[in-house]
Amino acid sequence: MSTNQDNKWEELLALSASTFAGESAPPYGFMTRTLAQLRQEQQEDRQVGWLCWRAIFASLGALVVAASVTISVHNYSNRGDDMEPGIGRFIQVENIQVS
Amino acid sequence: MDQSIDVARCLQRWQQGDESAAEEIITYLYPLISKIVRLHLPRREQEEDLIQEILMKTFSRLHQYKGTAPLTHWVSRLALTTCLDKLRAQKIRPEIRRTDLTPEEADVFDATWLDGSTRAATDAIHARDLVDKLLATLKPEDRSLILMVDLEGRSLEEISETTGWGISKIKMRLFRIRSQLRKTIQTLEQRS
Repeated sequence: MSTNQDNKWEELLALSASTFAGESAPPYGFMTRTLAQLRQEQQEDRQVGWLCWRAIFASLGALVVAASVTISVHNYSNRGDDMEPGIGRFIQVENIQVS
Repeated sequence: MDQSIDVARCLQRWQQGDESAAEEIITYLYPLISKIVRLHLPRREQEEDLIQEILMKTFSRLHQYKGTAPLTHWVSRLALTTCLDKLRAQKIRPEIRRTDLTPEEADVFDATWLDGSTRAATDAIHARDLVDKLLATLKPEDRSLILMVDLEGRSLEEISETTGWGISKIKMRLFRIRSQLRKTIQTLEQRS
């Protein structure tokens, strides 16, 4: 803007300056509302946190069960024979040679 | 800010679950946030809702506050960002013509730019409405920048600290904003 227009713009701003001033204290009821919302958000955060922990523990539990099943199946299939478990045990106890 | 509190102690108390500390922090920050919201948003916006939103953001992000700079600086930046986001969401940057002004706004415009007469203090509201209409033609960041310079009289260094913009970028922007405002004013000067 030219200097003259700069001055006019500043005049206009100066005229409206009072409407830009902030308030020094919250209006009636603002504090109560804000604190209530703050409390609510904290509660929601806690609930979300609790849900997250539950989800993590549930996932860990599922992982442990899946791992146990996998290991058991793996061990069972690696026994190196195709006999029923009872017969296999009998063969082991009696030390029978199976060809 | 007139009222000063032991910010570090208050934050500590708040983190320990003391709600009265939150009340003290809100009372302490309210004038600052109110000033920023009123400066950067057009009149008639929902000020209280926005102040509350900024306070909520402040409390939810307090753990990110390192304490290296004053809390007021940190909150100012947060408040400014929130206001700019709000302005960006409006996405209104209309061109204004003389016919868009109310009779009162046109009177204020003529008195300031054409007649050169002085106006009564009661015209403040109409002047503000006219300022808002002129500023509405700018980008949100430009609107905030010109007000920080021309209304608040803040230095380029201060603005750089608050916004994170470089000094040369600010100067360049100011040049462009002034040129854009001049064009808008020239359009308004055409009475017919």
